[in-house]
Amino acid sequence: MTQSTFDVFSLWKEIYNKTESAWHDAIQETLEKKSFAESLGQIQSQYVQFQELVNKMTESYLKQTNIPSRDEIANVASLIIDVDSKIDQLEDEIDEKEERLVKEMDALKKSVSSLEKKLDKVIELLNKSIESIADSNATVAATANKTVSK
Amino acid sequence: MVTVDTTPLKEWFESLPKNKDFEKLQRFNKVLFTDPEPQVGQTPKEIIWTKNKAKLYRYQPNKVKTNKVPILMIYALINKPYILDLYPGNSFIEYLTDRGHDVYLLDWGTAGFEDRHMKLEDYIVDYIPRAVKKVLKHSGAKEITMFGYCMGGTMTAIFTALYQKKLPIRNVVLLTSPIDFEDAGLYTNWLDKRYFKLDNIVETFGNVPFEFIDFGNKLLNPLSNTVGVYVNVASNIENEEKILNWKLMQKWLNDGVPFPGEAYRQWIRNFYQENKLINDELEVRGERVLLSNITANLLNIVATRDNIVLPQQIEPLNDKVSSKNKTLHVVNAGHVSVITGKRAVAENYPFIEQWITENSK
Repeated sequence: MTQSTFDVFSLWKEIYNKTESAWHDAIQETLEKKSFAESLGQIQSQYVQFQELVNKMTESYLKQTNIPSRDEIANVASLIIDVDSKIDQLEDEIDEKEERLVKEMDALKKSVSSLEKKLDKVIELLNKSIESIADSNATVAATANKTVSK
Repeated sequence: MVTVDTTPLKEWFESLPKNKDFEKLQRFNKVLFTDPEPQVGQTPKEIIWTKNKAKLYRYQPNKVKTNKVPILMIYALINKPYILDLYPGNSFIEYLTDRGHDVYLLDWGTAGFEDRHMKLEDYIVDYIPRAVKKVLKHSGAKEITMFGYCMGGTMTAIFTALYQKKLPIRNVVLLTSPIDFEDAGLYTNWLDKRYFKLDNIVETFGNVPFEFIDFGNKLLNPLSNTVGVYVNVASNIENEEKILNWKLMQKWLNDGVPFPGEAYRQWIRNFYQENKLINDELEVRGERVLLSNITANLLNIVATRDNIVLPQQIEPLNDKVSSKNKTLHVVNAGHVSVITGKRAVAENYPFIEQWITENSK
């Protein structure tokens, strides 16, 4: 037989729902007030001041104990990032040159193929002229032969 | 060495009456303290380019790509981008790649202290255009679809305005991306120049810690974001699917990254405090950002229950751009539920996927 116990979750949800609906508007109204933003700003300022104090103390401790500070480690990282950027620029330049080269190659291919076509035409015309010259030579020779035999 | 024998405690715990309520309590305890974290970002991917901490991923490289126009996703500098690939069956990236889209994601990585001087323009001018060129080269495509979420969408809009004539940007999909900061809800008050000591914060922290930003987000709805979270898990403790989703969300929400200091200074000053983008006053490396330069097809998505980016911050973009094909799509969702969860999978994923497919033919 299962023992019936008190359901904490249902009670929790009920309390939450009732609290939420009762307080939601009041909380939102407070959050919207200028005075709230002002207080938030003041808390922030104090927190930032505290953080700054911690930063300064940590920095001076690290200096005294001869341990590299966050700034110094970040400087080394920056140097690596700079090298990374230079490699990136080189990659960009190679890409650009490759693109240009591909374009130039394409243009070259086109002009070579148009030259080929032109050459084909020239050869065709030459062949035709040779044929017509040969034909006319043959005609001339035939006429000459006829004249001689007469 | 001091050893503590915990056997009596275990025996006592075991001897407690076993009933449903007790089991629920036990489960609650496990979910909060001992269960392993769910594995996120499981869609297979390859890295095709890296720069500093950023990585450009290509998803499911071995799947057939039927869509000609690749998609490049740009995420915010806050939180991690695996929200777009949360869990199998609840992943926008998986959904797109399963339907033949070639999806790339630019992951900014985790900024180190050495990145505290990184500005927004460094990301917009030095990273995004390069990533676009890499995607075009890798995919062999002639055009690209840009997808931006939250602040990543704002960066995408700025990038598109600057590069629309230089790069073949065919489509722009923006998901809950703030453009107009005239009324940013509670943030407008809280980030008021008179109270919010922006310079002190950036100079002290270098990079602004995730916890600092998270505190502001939680303060938007304090009861719901603190107590409500645990009430939610307790009331759904017997529903495995809801518990898994809860764990996934908690993992993502508490797994943020620091905001690079200078970029944070610009984000708060130029956007929240001075609202420069919508008023054509924003300059990126001396060039004015005019949203009217955007001519790409635009899908701009608004979530009505979003309390981080309010609908009125998103909608004005459609009036500013010169795109002939522009859609403002309003969904009943929150800032995160717009892209994760059952409803997003059933309604928002198909809508976005169809829009991209239709505009990529």
